Amino acid sequence: MYRIDINVNGEAHTLDVPSNATLLEVLRDNLGLKGVKEGCGKGECGACTVLINGIPVNACLILAVDVDGMEITTIEGLARGDELNPIQESFIEHGAVQCGFCTPGMIMSAKHLLDNNSRPTVDEIKEAISGNLCRCTGYVRIIKAIEAASERYSFR
Amino acid sequence: MQETVTKEKEEYVYVGKGVPRVDGYKKVTGKAVYTVDVDLPGMLHGKILRSPVPHALIKSIDTSRAEALPGVKAVITGKDTQGIRFGFVETPHMPADMPPLAEDKVRYVGEAVAAVAATSERIAVKALDLIEVEYKPLPAVFHPEKAMEPEAPKIHDIIPATGPSFWQQWGVERESTPQKVERNICSEIHVEIGDIEEGFAKADYIREDRFETNVTAHGALEPHGVVARYTRDKLDVWLSHMGPYMKRYWLARTMGLPDSKVRVHHAYIGGAFGGKIDLFDYEFIASYLSKITGRPVRIVLTRKEVFQSTRLRHPMVFYVKTGVKRNGKITALDVTAIDDTGAYRGTGPVVVYLAHAFSIPLYRIPNVNYKGYAVYTNNPVRVAMRGHGAPQARFAMEQQLDMIAEDIGMSPIDIRLINVREQGEVLPNGDILNSCGLRECIERSAERSDFMKKYGKNRGKGRGIGIGLTSMFSGAQFYPFGATGVVLLHDDGSATIFSGAVEFGQGSDTMMCQIVAEELGIDIGKVSILSADSELCPIALDNWLSGGTFVNGRAVQLAARNAKEQLLSYASQILGVSKEELDVRDGEIFSVKDPSKKISHEGVIKYAIHKSRGKQIVGVGHATPVEGAYWYPSLRTGKGKFTGAYSFSASVAEVEVDMDTGVVRVLKIINAHDCGYPINPILVEGQAEGQGYMGMAQVLMENIVEHDGVILNSDFLEYKMPTALDIPEMETIHIETRDPNGPFGGKEVGEGVIAGVVAAIANAIYDATGVRFHTLPITPDVILKGLKEKRMKEERQ
Repeated sequence: MYRIDINVNGEAHTLDVPSNATLLEVLRDNLGLKGVKEGCGKGECGACTVLINGIPVNACLILAVDVDGMEITTIEGLARGDELNPIQESFIEHGAVQCGFCTPGMIMSAKHLLDNNSRPTVDEIKEAISGNLCRCTGYVRIIKAIEAASERYSFR
Repeated sequence: MQETVTKEKEEYVYVGKGVPRVDGYKKVTGKAVYTVDVDLPGMLHGKILRSPVPHALIKSIDTSRAEALPGVKAVITGKDTQGIRFGFVETPHMPADMPPLAEDKVRYVGEAVAAVAATSERIAVKALDLIEVEYKPLPAVFHPEKAMEPEAPKIHDIIPATGPSFWQQWGVERESTPQKVERNICSEIHVEIGDIEEGFAKADYIREDRFETNVTAHGALEPHGVVARYTRDKLDVWLSHMGPYMKRYWLARTMGLPDSKVRVHHAYIGGAFGGKIDLFDYEFIASYLSKITGRPVRIVLTRKEVFQSTRLRHPMVFYVKTGVKRNGKITALDVTAIDDTGAYRGTGPVVVYLAHAFSIPLYRIPNVNYKGYAVYTNNPVRVAMRGHGAPQARFAMEQQLDMIAEDIGMSPIDIRLINVREQGEVLPNGDILNSCGLRECIERSAERSDFMKKYGKNRGKGRGIGIGLTSMFSGAQFYPFGATGVVLLHDDGSATIFSGAVEFGQGSDTMMCQIVAEELGIDIGKVSILSADSELCPIALDNWLSGGTFVNGRAVQLAARNAKEQLLSYASQILGVSKEELDVRDGEIFSVKDPSKKISHEGVIKYAIHKSRGKQIVGVGHATPVEGAYWYPSLRTGKGKFTGAYSFSASVAEVEVDMDTGVVRVLKIINAHDCGYPINPILVEGQAEGQGYMGMAQVLMENIVEHDGVILNSDFLEYKMPTALDIPEMETIHIETRDPNGPFGGKEVGEGVIAGVVAAIANAIYDATGVRFHTLPITPDVILKGLKEKRMKEERQ
């Protein structure tokens, strides 16, 4: 067991984790953050995308011991109480959600994009979410939703 | 139960509008609970040891070392579950053929051989390594046409009957008989319409071709999983599924429980696409392990297991012979379809029926001879995948229709327009096309794409356009043969819907809330839904039957109307005006003659509860897929009514082919779609776009590579599903018809379109390259080979 200090969605946690535990396992099983989804466990689908110090990462590919001292944001950390983040609002409004399993990871990738580029082109949006597989929508409405969100997105 | 259209769509408040999903908030915040998110106290973790060989006798299994591993609570093999069988198809002549754990032999790579329950997933995985299995390999066969040869290895011999069949339980007095499998043929269908010989005799031109389609995977992002909790005599399960009733039936039967002692709980489903219908080995295994350990058991499959051991799309071979008159009118169609159904029956007998049944509603063909064979091989098991037989059949027949058109000097549009069916026609099996916008689908998609200006103009120069048609059913007579909906009115003026229908992404919950809000005249925020809980909800048609709107939605609509009737009776007492004079709007009941006479829903419901001493208003409604049919059509002859409404679509695709590399880029897909009245256009478009993307993927990118029964690309890295960078522009044209038997005129939307897209892209590739491809997928190497052959042929001439 190794002790790590991490900040998840603004809350500090000190955890004892096995050396082979992934960040995904720790988020889901130790912290109960079930919004972080596992679709493949091999870094191929992007369903487990979280932000580590603001950078989108597949949580299934990172060992928990490697994020000691870092800040992690998951889908659970986006809304402020009942007030949704503009990307979340936009996903609902534009029909970008169907089964919803890819949605948390997709939104985290979109958040990283808009945090760094408030007015992306369609090509930049496609590029930014190209590591997140969606099987339901054909991506059309996801791209639209991110484009629309960018119009009301403010720098943080 | 004919729908009277009393309102124009402009008057609707919620129906016909792109209302945001009712489950949107939960899904964008990570709060939606899927099966993989369910944790129960004391829960164990299950893992399954699977066969590494495609066909072998099991000589011995030694589980002693696994059992001795600390943390292991149970180890089971086929000895423990001897004689238990399940299967998607079970008729008196086709007994269920699939064991949850292999007994004397394994028939495909990935078949369950042993299973472990342990205190952690890691221990369970370690325990699998300690189980020793000795196999004696048998000769195996992997292509259905080879498997039908007399000297091919026998995969099944006699499939014994295991008790009263599904049919007998539903009142069909026919004893189950064992099935003797000859030449590995799992099932055979022969449909005869008209006189085929006469049909060909009348033809001016006849063409014969062979086509073959590929194996693809559903690729739902949520891996298949189960949480099972067996306590005393009751089984509670959380599943990744497409309808609780098929699962409940087979779990009850295999676990020896009455139906009511199996409860399928609500869970959100992370995509299905046909791949989560029938009972799976791991679902039974988790239930069984829970029973013997007395603790809840969770099994979540690895992505590799999902590919290799759940289900895949049926690959099919088609021999198509079509005769036409000089004017393009089809006089005869002779088709032989051969399906590789894998090592167990899966949906083989159904897909060979559907490849025919989804073709018949499109074109008026007086003489048809259709033979279909579902054939066992030592490949992984196949099941429904979006379109279920339609993409395969359309790939073959829509391409051949284009070839014939070119041969006789017609355009692809004209040959279709001269043959398509119209509203009011009765199909050979008795189904009536009460609504049919097929002609308009063709005309509008052709017009919007400038089809005739573009078609043939760049033949062989790398730019092309193509069209494909499709039809799809809206529910069929399979258990529970219809749906009941319940709407409960609360004293604050709100309503709760109870329906057994399942929300797996298509928007079922939202569609139902729209319907009920519209019928009751209340704010949609005041309507909530409790769906897909097999104990709390009344039965509905499982959503893999494509009757989500037409049947389940209709049942809920009638339930809302029933509740409204009761509401109006009380309101008439309060307001002192006759019931007939009352209508609902904006949460109020008012007199149409004197709108000043009005009262809120809340007021009426409170009055009703007080006045009637607690008798709450409960509306009940019922709908069935097709009136006058007792059972689904014969899987041997195709006879009998199938469905109450068909949806139709025409898809047009434009492609660009790099003639040096063979890389195809789809530029645009237009889907003109008749789903009756689109109750939620955003959801409808989402379904059409999802199918556009999936159809494109099946033609150009996705292909399961099986080598001696082993899937070589069983992960998302090697099995290439399109990313956001790969998608074309997509447009949906709503061809509005109003089906008289659907809620607000609505019918099927989720699985037809894909088939037309597959055909349209294949036809567009021909237009661009001048080469006809008879086999899927059409990857760059295939295109280059085709172009090279064409060049060589031209040089020789």
